[in-house]
Amino acid sequence: MPRVTSNNSDDEAQLYCEKSEWQDITPIPQYDGINPIAPIFYTPEYKDATEYFRAIVKADEVSERVLQLTYDIISMNPAHYSAWQYRYRTLVALKHPLDVELELMDAFAIKFLKTYQVWHHRRLLLTALRSSAPSPLSIASKELAFIIRALSTDTKNYHTWSYRQWLLAFFDDEELWEGELPYVERLLETDVRNNSAWHHRYFVVWGRVRAEGEIDVGDVLKREIAYTKDQIALAPNNPSAWNYLRGILEHTKTPFNSLRTFVELYSTQTAPGEEDIVDLDNPKPGPGAQLPCAPALEFLADIHEEMGGEQTKKAIEIWKSLGNEYDTMRKKYWEFRVKEALSV
Amino acid sequence: MSSDPLDNDKSSLPRFARSAHASHCNRCLSGLPSTQVEADTSRLAVGFYCLGVMDMLGLLESKINETERERWRDWVWNQQSSGTYGTGFRPGPYMTGQDSLCWSDVTQPGDEYSEYDTPHLIMTYTALLSLAILRDDFKRLEKKGILKFLRSCQRSDGSFSSLPNGGDSDLRQVYCAFAISSILDDWSGIDVDSAVKYIQRCENYEGGYGQSPGGEALGGTTYCALASLHLAPVPSSSSSPSRTPLFSPHISTKHRSRTIRWLLQNQTPSGGFCGRTNKVADACYCFWSGASLHILGASGLVDNRALATFLSTCQFKFGGIAKAPEERPDPYHTYMAIAALAIYPPEDADESWTLPEMNALWNTTDETAQWIRDHIHNK
Ligand SMILES: [Zn+2]
Repeated sequence: MPRVTSNNSDDEAQLYCEKSEWQDITPIPQYDGINPIAPIFYTPEYKDATEYFRAIVKADEVSERVLQLTYDIISMNPAHYSAWQYRYRTLVALKHPLDVELELMDAFAIKFLKTYQVWHHRRLLLTALRSSAPSPLSIASKELAFIIRALSTDTKNYHTWSYRQWLLAFFDDEELWEGELPYVERLLETDVRNNSAWHHRYFVVWGRVRAEGEIDVGDVLKREIAYTKDQIALAPNNPSAWNYLRGILEHTKTPFNSLRTFVELYSTQTAPGEEDIVDLDNPKPGPGAQLPCAPALEFLADIHEEMGGEQTKKAIEIWKSLGNEYDTMRKKYWEFRVKEALSV
Repeated sequence: MSSDPLDNDKSSLPRFARSAHASHCNRCLSGLPSTQVEADTSRLAVGFYCLGVMDMLGLLESKINETERERWRDWVWNQQSSGTYGTGFRPGPYMTGQDSLCWSDVTQPGDEYSEYDTPHLIMTYTALLSLAILRDDFKRLEKKGILKFLRSCQRSDGSFSSLPNGGDSDLRQVYCAFAISSILDDWSGIDVDSAVKYIQRCENYEGGYGQSPGGEALGGTTYCALASLHLAPVPSSSSSPSRTPLFSPHISTKHRSRTIRWLLQNQTPSGGFCGRTNKVADACYCFWSGASLHILGASGLVDNRALATFLSTCQFKFGGIAKAPEERPDPYHTYMAIAALAIYPPEDADESWTLPEMNALWNTTDETAQWIRDHIHNK
């Protein structure tokens, strides 16, 4: 991993108390209190570095060597948010090039993907770079590429996704947004059950703030429904896809009934035969599909309930079959739906 | 085993290893190995989970003597500090130098903290609960200072940050601010309306709540949203029926149904809940999702037996509960699993599974919640 200071001739394994250039500092040992709760048996390296950190904070020192010290501490404990805070403050005060810092933190971010502070630090850096860098957009697009690398090691990491979404909304530039749908599609090709990718699709298509009339919502909805149907045909029992479908219909106030033909293909016992006419709008389940699939039955029951009147009976029948046969884990829920419908 | 497996189609649950789970937490209270160094900046939370486990299992008094409990109370109070942003609790003494203070049992108001050692919102919540579990008299509570601290942490969009001068800000901090306000029985430290609007912006197309607006629906933050909306004081103008723990004027019937549907969908075939659609079950989400359903008045719809079966397999052979079978246990998952079982006691289980009633909104036992009301409210 690259080092911040290049003139550091000391052996890396050395403790701070052994380094000649730190002799001017009196380390401050920790006071843990009497009978402390959950005391940590620190390693000698961590104990040593944090004693110097306490001294630096107390002296309010701003210097290059603070970057080295804070780097060492967060390498041992990436959740040490005070060291992160102090590091960021020092970078700014020293007018340290922030794009260099960003790059320095690349390997670090991938190593400590699950630590919030890693992403918070990048957020601070990108915020500052947007107003100070000569070409902030190129930094942002490089950052999007970096996030793809990070996500490739953990495609559902919550912090990483949140950070990507924050970045897109913060820079809000067509040049950045336009690569997102192809990226989501690549992810779903690899794993159609990746809910983070489905959610990102929703964020990109429906969450982005648009000017009035900038897009034709009808066209977008048509495209999204077609895409989702294709994904359901590939894996009919995928709740991520069904939830997306429900979400976009509700968002656009489109009745569930408009998808009846499609949903019925997945709610029957047997797959439609080969001889049936090919209907491009309503892709059929693949040959190995387990039918009927529970999310389709649920959807069909919701259509019946939406229509009301005589159709409520059909909804009740489906809920009963879900509880008794197709989704027994949620038996009590399906019974509850029956009871609710009867009480109206 | 009392039941004959031949005439019981449900396999019977193994015993719940109460004493081993308590020992796991007791060990963590007395010390953590160097590999747990990331807990350095969240020690009060670790303490809360460990003490919470002892409280739920009813073993606090028998396993830990009064002198030790007294010293732990002092230690927690020593993390309370006051300064520019008000009063609150720091995560632990990781920034406390031996030079800095002449230590007394009581931290005096006016002790100034540095910008790099301010109180922490989440830690303040866990400190108050830990003190209540340790049956503290709360005479050292700096109520006014804490209200000021809450004010310092609220941001213009209604959310709260962990630290008054930065840090993460999402639904977890909103929940802690709401829980602290209701623990203090004083809402003057926060702008409830803007916080409620922030919470509502976090609701997502699946029916759950993301960590922040635009985020993927997640069990933990869904609990934070729902508990906050149910803790929030009901506006006097609202035509709502009398306030019950199962009702919030901030959630419409339609949204409530959608959230219930999504939560229940996350109970996986293993019996445990996952935190997001299509993820694997995890012991902590058994609490976050289970408690969310309880808050929405839908706990009757959960398959208790399957839930307990999953959690029984997360028990580690030497004590403690892990996030999933074959994983290492930790105090967080041990606490969350036990809290989930307290809300969803399995039917026909032996007495080792018996747990006390829970206050799902504060995430503590009813008895500890009552202690808070008796010792903080109207004081
Ligand atoms: Zn977990």
